[in-house]
Amino acid sequence: MLEIKNLEASINNKKILNGLNLIIKSGEVHAIMGPNGSGKSTLANVLSGKAGYEISGELNFQGESLKKLAVEERAQKGIFLAFQYPLEIPGVNTNIFLKTSLNSVLKAKGKKELDTLSFLKMVKEKSSELGIDEKILSRQLNVGFSGGEKKKNEILQMKVLDPILSILDETDSGLDIDALKIVAKGVNSSRSSKKSFLIITHYQRLLDYIKPDFVHVLSKGKIVKTGCGDLAEELEKTGYEKLN
Amino acid sequence: MFENFDINSNEIDKIKKITQEEKNFRVKNLEFFKSAGFPNKRSEDWKFSDFNEIVNKNFYKLDIKKVISNNSKIDLIKDFDHNYIFLINGDFHSSNFDFEEKNKIKINKYNEDIKYQNTKNPLICLNHALADNGYSLEVDKNYKFKKVLVIYNFFTKDMKNKILNNKNTIKINENSELHIIEYTINESKFKFISNVYENVVLEKNAILKNLYVQHNKSEGFFHKFLRSKLFFKSDYSNLIFSSGLKFNKLDIECDLMQENCTCNILSALFLKKNEHQEIKTRINHLAPNCKSYQKVKNVISSDSKGVYQGKIFVKDIAQKTNAYQLSKALLLNDNAEFNSKPELEIYADDVKCSHGSTSGSIDESSLYYLMSRGISRKDSTNLLIKGFLNDVIELIKSPIIKKFIEKKLEDHVNGYHSY
Repeated sequence: MLEIKNLEASINNKKILNGLNLIIKSGEVHAIMGPNGSGKSTLANVLSGKAGYEISGELNFQGESLKKLAVEERAQKGIFLAFQYPLEIPGVNTNIFLKTSLNSVLKAKGKKELDTLSFLKMVKEKSSELGIDEKILSRQLNVGFSGGEKKKNEILQMKVLDPILSILDETDSGLDIDALKIVAKGVNSSRSSKKSFLIITHYQRLLDYIKPDFVHVLSKGKIVKTGCGDLAEELEKTGYEKLN
Repeated sequence: MFENFDINSNEIDKIKKITQEEKNFRVKNLEFFKSAGFPNKRSEDWKFSDFNEIVNKNFYKLDIKKVISNNSKIDLIKDFDHNYIFLINGDFHSSNFDFEEKNKIKINKYNEDIKYQNTKNPLICLNHALADNGYSLEVDKNYKFKKVLVIYNFFTKDMKNKILNNKNTIKINENSELHIIEYTINESKFKFISNVYENVVLEKNAILKNLYVQHNKSEGFFHKFLRSKLFFKSDYSNLIFSSGLKFNKLDIECDLMQENCTCNILSALFLKKNEHQEIKTRINHLAPNCKSYQKVKNVISSDSKGVYQGKIFVKDIAQKTNAYQLSKALLLNDNAEFNSKPELEIYADDVKCSHGSTSGSIDESSLYYLMSRGISRKDSTNLLIKGFLNDVIELIKSPIIKKFIEKKLEDHVNGYHSY
């Protein structure tokens, strides 16, 4: 599904990703761990199409190069990024935003757009499934949301948009155990043979709830080690230092 | 180039039934206008809107002759029940107050003999000299309107190179309440000038809300001077959603005459190509314990210009004044211009006055966030524009009217395609 070959990315002439290789197949859950500044968020940003990066190497999603696709086209093709720091958008109602978003994706896929009533019904179902208080949906997008509410809102967006590849950029940071469970539930309930996940995290904690198929260690813009679930536990004990 | 816009003083003699005193007043004002000409940027009040230059650029001729149009049909708003007044090319045409107790309302063609202050604004002088039509509305004591009043401000298709001068007055007596929507409909494809002087008086405990919105866009150049006096505990709000006008200057002067009055001026504007809008305010806090609140939000796209000149004056006796003023502009590209001049003149020592002004472009990271959810750049921009203007629209209490305004604004924003 996702094939990254020798990916290099720099911003303001500073090289962040330095020959990164990664293959994610359909149905797999990959976790990426790594120290601060290793390039984890840059990888997430580059995959979502954020502007400002100089990029070389190959970046293929479902056999198609992502390089020429704009941010919204990638999202329409099924790439979703749960932001590390979701932005506050004053004046924009969360429900209206979500509906616009879902209908943009449906329209791009040539599917029928949802009317307000069926949209609201669907969102209500998804939020109660996740245990998210639907009151946040009538508020302005992320404005005045607590850290936990923002992250839960990201997961709800993921559930609503139903992407093929979900990238979670440190979604677990700053979450209490209940919110962490909601995030994990969001991922686990979506797992299927057609969907893949790339979970970026600092801690093994989240991986107690989401069992990854592979764990990668990113250091200085490269994957330096790959293993299965126990690698995360090992890292928790030994730290990143010893790997180098 | 514009030929001299010359008005013969015998134009004043065409106005029927005027006293010698009134005639003298009109002649004096006409003389002032003739010597000053249209206001230009040398005058502080017009420094960001050089009206003389605007007239020269847009009109090769201009006259004051009225045309009488017969075949005008006005489509009433169907979204909500309302009373109405029809103005055709600024003149009072007819009214309908079927939802109200008619003996509580006086509505006439403008005929009041008000002692006007002397002014150095040539456009007001021109209005004083020539205006002889418009409406006078008075609401009796202790009467709360059941339905909103829509003032259909209709301009016929034969408006071309005309300058229209009109006067209106609104008086709300003690304990009464009225909500107005001034709804401008334009059928003319040509340029014209509408120059209005409006006088508002709110007696004790009176409430007036005035909302401005357009049905469609217009090549017209609009200037309105709005003079209001507020007495004990009265409450006056102006909500301005005027969009799609070639030029619009709303000059609002509000005297808070007695204690506990409130004046709100709120606006959410979206200016498209080559449009120019100015909101100029002067709030005079003349008595203690009054409140004024101004919030002006402009979205400005290519080659358009937004201006806000807001002044708060606090007289020495006006202690415990609470005055707030904020203007914010969202500039959509490099050719968009926003000029803001906040002014505070305070002679009392126990007051709360604040002002702020910001302007900036669309936040790229917000745009990225929305686009990462599959929303196109254009739609994301539109969402951010609506979000920016939304906190003013949120202040409309009636859900039906809010929806009506939202729809108007949405059509206007969606019709914007420079991305």
